[in-house]
Amino acid sequence: MKVISQPGKRRSFHLRDHVQLYLIMLPVLVHLFIFSYIPMYGIVIAFQDYYPGKPFLSFTDANWVGLKHFINFFNGPYFGRLMRNTFLLSFYFLVFGFWVPIVFSLLLNELKHGVFKKFVQTASYLPHFISNVVVAGMVLSFINVDGIINVIIQMFGGTPIALNTEPAYFPAIYTITSIWKSFGWSSILYLAAMSSVDPNLYEAAKMDGANRFKQMLHISLPSIRPTIFILLIFAIGSLLSANSEFILLIYNPMVYETADVIGTYLYRDGLLGGNFSMGTAVGLFISLINFTLLYVANSLSRKYSDYALW
Amino acid sequence: MVSARRNPNKIREGSIIVDIILYAIAFIICLITLYPFYFVIIMSISSPQEVAAMNVFWYPKGFNLGSYELIVKDAKMWWAYSNTLIYVSAGTLLNCLMAVLGAYPLTVRNLKGRKWVVAYLLIPMYIGGGLIPSYLLVNKLGLYNTMFAVIIPGMVSIWNIILVRTFFTTIPDGLKESAFIDGASHLQLLFKIIIPISKPILAVIAIYSIVGIWNSWFDALVYLPNEKLHPLQMYLYRVVVQQSVDLKMLSLDDAKNAVATMLSNIQLKYAIIVFTTLPVIFTYPFFQKYFIKGALLGSLKE
Repeated sequence: MKVISQPGKRRSFHLRDHVQLYLIMLPVLVHLFIFSYIPMYGIVIAFQDYYPGKPFLSFTDANWVGLKHFINFFNGPYFGRLMRNTFLLSFYFLVFGFWVPIVFSLLLNELKHGVFKKFVQTASYLPHFISNVVVAGMVLSFINVDGIINVIIQMFGGTPIALNTEPAYFPAIYTITSIWKSFGWSSILYLAAMSSVDPNLYEAAKMDGANRFKQMLHISLPSIRPTIFILLIFAIGSLLSANSEFILLIYNPMVYETADVIGTYLYRDGLLGGNFSMGTAVGLFISLINFTLLYVANSLSRKYSDYALW
Repeated sequence: MVSARRNPNKIREGSIIVDIILYAIAFIICLITLYPFYFVIIMSISSPQEVAAMNVFWYPKGFNLGSYELIVKDAKMWWAYSNTLIYVSAGTLLNCLMAVLGAYPLTVRNLKGRKWVVAYLLIPMYIGGGLIPSYLLVNKLGLYNTMFAVIIPGMVSIWNIILVRTFFTTIPDGLKESAFIDGASHLQLLFKIIIPISKPILAVIAIYSIVGIWNSWFDALVYLPNEKLHPLQMYLYRVVVQQSVDLKMLSLDDAKNAVATMLSNIQLKYAIIVFTTLPVIFTYPFFQKYFIKGALLGSLKE
C-alpha cells in the first residue's frame, strides 16, 4: 500500500457513504437513546405519583402532582440533616484534601529521578485502583472496637473508642479515607504540567540566587496554576455530591446523624423503599444545585482568573 | 516530554539536609499508602491465635493459610469469580467495540449532520436521568436480575468515544484514501486498517474497563438480587461489609477443630480481601503506564 494521498483528487462523497457511516454508528445511537435519553425523559415521574407497574412513559394516565414531592422532601424530617451531611462531607474533603495532591506533586518534583521516586509515585496511585468494597472492608476492620486503631490507642494508654458507632467520628473517617484513596492519582495532572516546564527556567532562577523553595514557589507552582483552578472548579461544582457509593459501604444506622447523605437516602428510601417519584425528585433537585454551583464557580473563575471550563 | 529534559537532576541540586527531609517525607507518605495493604496481608497469613489477639503489626507471626483454604473451598466464591470474569470480558469487548463504532464516523469531516450527532453524544455527559429512572427502565426492559443488567447499560462510554476519536484523527488521511481507491467500504476500512493500528488507544480503554468492571459492585447491588449472578465484589461485600456469609459453616471439620475454625474465621476477611485484590495488585505495575496515558489524554479534552 504505497499510494500517497493526492489533495486534488479527494474522493467525492455519496449518499452511500452517509448511509454506511450512520449504520456504523447505529448501535451507539440506539444505546444512548435507550439508556440515556429515556431515563432523562423518565425524570417526569418526579412530578407524578408513580407506582411500580405503571407505564412511566405515558402522559395520559399519569397522576400529575406538580411539585408535591419536592415540597414534601423540603418539609420532611431529614431534609436539614441530609443537606448538612452532604455539604459537610464534600466540604471537609475539599478543605482538607484539595491541597494534598498539590503539595505531594511539588514534593515529588523535588526528588531526583530514579527508582525511589518512581516507587513512591506507583505506590501513591495504588489505592485508586482498589475497589471501594475492599477499602471499606479494610476501614471497617481497622476502626472496629478491637481493630488496629483501638489497639494503638490502648498501647498509648487510652481507652478504646467506638469509632464505627459514634457519629462524631464518621466525618473524619470518611475524609481521611477519601484523601488516602485519591491523593496520588489526583497528583498525576499536576506532575504532568510540571514536567513540561523548561529546565532552563530553574537554571536561570538559580543564577539569580533563588533557592529551591523559591524556585518551587515561583516556577513549579505557577506552572500548575491552570490545573489547580480547573480542578477547584470541579470540586466546587460537586460540593453536594459526596461519594455516596462509598458511604453506603462504611456507614450504619447508628451514625446516620452525620453519615446519611442525599445519595444514600435516595438509595434507601427512594429505591429500596419504593418511593420512586420522591427519589427522582430528590435526584433532580441535587443535580440542579450541582449544576448551578459548577456554573457559578466557572463564571467566577473566568472573571477573576482567566481559567474556565467553558 | 522526556527528550527535552537536560539532566534535571543536575539542575535542581540543593542542600543535602533539605534532600534528606524531602526523602523522609516521601518515605512516610509511601508508608501511609502501603501499610494498610501490608497489614491486611500479614494478618491473613499469620496464625489465627496471634490475629485474634491483635499481635501482628510489622511481620507475620506464625504461618497459617487456613483461611485461604476456607475461601478456596467455598463454591459461592468461585461462582462469583467466574461471574466477574464474564462481566469483565463481555463488558470490555463491548466497550471497545462501541467506542470504535461511535468514534469512526465522527472523524469523517463531511458527514451530514455531524454537529447534531456530536451534540447528541455530549448531552448525556451533562444531564442524566439518575438512579431511579434508570432502575425503572432496566426493569421494564426485562433486564432486571439478569446478567445483561450489569453489562448492557454500561457498554457505551462517551469518554471512550472521545478518546478513540482523538486517536483516529491522528491517522493520516492518505491511508484511508488508498483503502477507498482499492474499493473498500467504510466498515472494511475500519476493521481491516484502522482498528489494527489503533491498539495503543484500545489498550488504554480496555484496561480502564477491566479495572472498572472488576471493581464495580453498585450496579449488582441494585440490579441483581440473585446471588448466583453476583460478581466477586458483591461476594466480598456480603462477607466483609454485611457479614452475611458465614464461612465457618463451610468447614467440614469435626468438633475438635471447631475452635481453630472459629479463630480462622476472624482472619477470613483479611484473606478474602487479599484474594480478591491480588489480580489488580499484580497486574497494576504493568498496566500503570496505560492508566497514566488515559488520565492525561482525558484531561486534554477540557
